[in-house]
Amino acid sequence: MKTAVFWGCRTLTSQYGYELSVREVLPRLGVELVDLREALCCGDPVKSVNDFAANYLAARVLALANLAGLENLLIPCNRCHFTISEAKKIVEQDEKTGQKICGLLKEEGLKYNPAVKIWHVIDFLHDLVGLDNVKKTVEKPLKGLRLASHVGCQIIRYSDLGRVDDAENPRKLDELICATGSECVDYAEKLDCCGYHLTYSHSDSALSLAGSKLKALQGLGVDGLVVSCPDCGTMFDSKQKDAATTVGAKLSLPVVYYTQLLGLALGIPQDKLGLQLNQSPVDLLLSKISA
Amino acid sequence: MSLVDSMSMAKPNLESRGKILARLRGRELVNCFQCMKCTSGCTALKLLELKPHEIEKLVNLGLVDELVSSDIIWTCVTCLKCVQRCPQKASPYHVIFALRNLAVEREVKAPEALMKAVSQVLETGLAEVVQKVTSRKMETCDRESLKLPKIVSPKESFQAVFLKALEEKQQ
Repeated sequence: MKTAVFWGCRTLTSQYGYELSVREVLPRLGVELVDLREALCCGDPVKSVNDFAANYLAARVLALANLAGLENLLIPCNRCHFTISEAKKIVEQDEKTGQKICGLLKEEGLKYNPAVKIWHVIDFLHDLVGLDNVKKTVEKPLKGLRLASHVGCQIIRYSDLGRVDDAENPRKLDELICATGSECVDYAEKLDCCGYHLTYSHSDSALSLAGSKLKALQGLGVDGLVVSCPDCGTMFDSKQKDAATTVGAKLSLPVVYYTQLLGLALGIPQDKLGLQLNQSPVDLLLSKISA
Repeated sequence: MSLVDSMSMAKPNLESRGKILARLRGRELVNCFQCMKCTSGCTALKLLELKPHEIEKLVNLGLVDELVSSDIIWTCVTCLKCVQRCPQKASPYHVIFALRNLAVEREVKAPEALMKAVSQVLETGLAEVVQKVTSRKMETCDRESLKLPKIVSPKESFQAVFLKALEEKQQ
């Protein structure tokens, strides 16, 4: 199965572990990833400044997928997935805005195609590749691990837009974690936000949101937290030390991307999954797997 | 002093209110009955005292100019819980973003980092700068050393069209 992939800024510029692991894992499940002609912003930071320009950027991404001649577009980032989903709805339902945007795309010889379908890694694996197929590919079940999932905000809300999973009780990521052979625990703070968007205006508050959630999870004694969004990865993994200082706690919780976890269960070497790049103490988790 | 107190002397501006309603592509906002479901689930409430139901009320009262120049509209974390849970589909998130757009249009101060991200998009197509990262073993890595494909910038024609989109007059 061939699919276009749109990475978004965060993955391409710093969250290399996510990109490496997606590029490594999906082909093992029979998926051929095709990069878009250009790397582009999805429009998310532009939304606060100019809604029309943000929707234009998002529509341009969809037009680039159409240019690649592919109907499935994989978007591994939650924020990009939301921004592009909302723009899709606006271009297709708000005639005036849609016409203006298509006009701008035409200036660059690009064409919007409503048939392009948007996927996130979570529903792509769970629904399109299929949970059973994921299970079947697991070579090295990660028995004995107790993990928690953080699905993030923007791929589950708001439901009217058509989202990846249920808004109040998302289960797909948990099921995918269980497919690797590990146990996935439920917890009270599961739907709490990582705080990423606040880094633009109130960075300390953003860090304290991430810190509070990590603190609660550490109290539960889980072996690690599994994320599937580069923003959440930035907050919980890359900035875990800074988050710890804002909540006055000593945090040492391994945080991995789901595709890194699945890669381990498929028997892929750690460095090919970019696990050396995680800033949280993932060695604690890895030692339990090899033991 | 709460946001509402500070507005007890303010005068409604129905023209500004109309501008927000036009950007919302619907009139659901006027159906807000102040049930406070949005505020009770708001991620920014505890930290930064954002009360989405107050924002809704103030816009409905026409006190838009005050909101546009207030820092409170920049405290939303965009968790989208208010959109999801509002029984009246009066989405505070979308109201807050319409207020932000109006603030930028009126050249009221907006967070610097956000404006920087937008000019970065105009310059390179991406909102962020490509970074070198350090592994846990203190090795410096970049896309090349990790054997990740080169980033291809948008064609030159992109900049002019994006600029046009930024200048497009919103409703």
